Amino acid sequence: MFKNILIGLLIASSSAFAHSAIMSCFDEGDGSVTCEGGFSDGSSASGVKFYIEQDGKKVISGKMNEDSEFNFKKPNGTYSAVFDAGEGHQVSISGKDITE
Amino acid sequence: MKVSLVKVALASSIIASSALAHFQMVYTPNTALTKGGTIEFKHVFTHPFADEHTMDMAGVEEFYSITEKKGKQDLKKTLKPISWKGKHNSGKAYESKYKARNMGDHVLVMVPTPYYEKGEDIYIQQITKTVINVAGTPNGWDNELGLKAEIVPLTKPYSIWEGSSFTGIVKSNGKVVPFAEIEVEYINTTPDMKNNAMGPNKYEAPQDSFVTMGIKANKDGEFTFAIPKAGFWGFCALGAGSDKEYKGKELSQDAVIWVEAKEMK
Repeated sequence: MFKNILIGLLIASSSAFAHSAIMSCFDEGDGSVTCEGGFSDGSSASGVKFYIEQDGKKVISGKMNEDSEFNFKKPNGTYSAVFDAGEGHQVSISGKDITE
Repeated sequence: MKVSLVKVALASSIIASSALAHFQMVYTPNTALTKGGTIEFKHVFTHPFADEHTMDMAGVEEFYSITEKKGKQDLKKTLKPISWKGKHNSGKAYESKYKARNMGDHVLVMVPTPYYEKGEDIYIQQITKTVINVAGTPNGWDNELGLKAEIVPLTKPYSIWEGSSFTGIVKSNGKVVPFAEIEVEYINTTPDMKNNAMGPNKYEAPQDSFVTMGIKANKDGEFTFAIPKAGFWGFCALGAGSDKEYKGKELSQDAVIWVEAKEMK
């Protein structure tokens, strides 16, 4: 029983470390921004949590669509786009680094 | 008499070395981009290690990109003619701008118009593949495109440390080319993107066999090459393609792939 749990944990931790979460965002030039999420092993990020943070508050939140993308209206002021694939797998990109 | 003998010897050595070592470059200074953006390519037909002669490109039949989300996109209209300055002469070349926006792999393929090589009285056509990546997710770098001549990578061409290796398979229309003859050359300079020129050579070859290195694929068309230095390495499978004739003359339809190794620092 204990052994099984241990094996389960090992598998879980190795798969978590084996691929890192990756995100890339670009300004669509129409007042909106698209962020694409993914993993270093090429697996899809469809359904993975995504949110926009401003002053420590989540102002927009949702999930990556079937193309592993999230499109949102560019907020006023400083913001961060966060791709949240679980603990240790969060990628944050500052709005000022998002260009066309 | 002595002088003319030297001249003959010199001429034949130039012919011998130029007969080898043609490489179609589809060059951009960084193939592993940290984020999306517009990047520039230079399309130059040269001898990238010695840079003794820049050829006049005869034109371009096809130039396109392949991505997972957008599929095949024709880029032929993005090509602009330029003159590229090598160490000894200038040659007709092209430049292009490419919007590498989507995350992941972008496979760029160029099929040049066959080039007439006077010295050998043959035509050369190098079907060239350059793979770039945005942000680090893989999605298509390893796809086999079924080209007439193609090197299918088994190593991500943009994700190689200096001192590691590159493995590829030589194919023609999806079939392996056993024991394919492959030439390997290093871009022995940092190409000047602004002035369309080669810079001074970085390294010297101890002997001619190091200028253009000849290796062979195994019975499965597969080869591995250890990459000693950071920078761009070109692999050219000679005559791997299925087209053997052009305008009544022999055609060497080659497969070229470019890989970039990064320094560990």
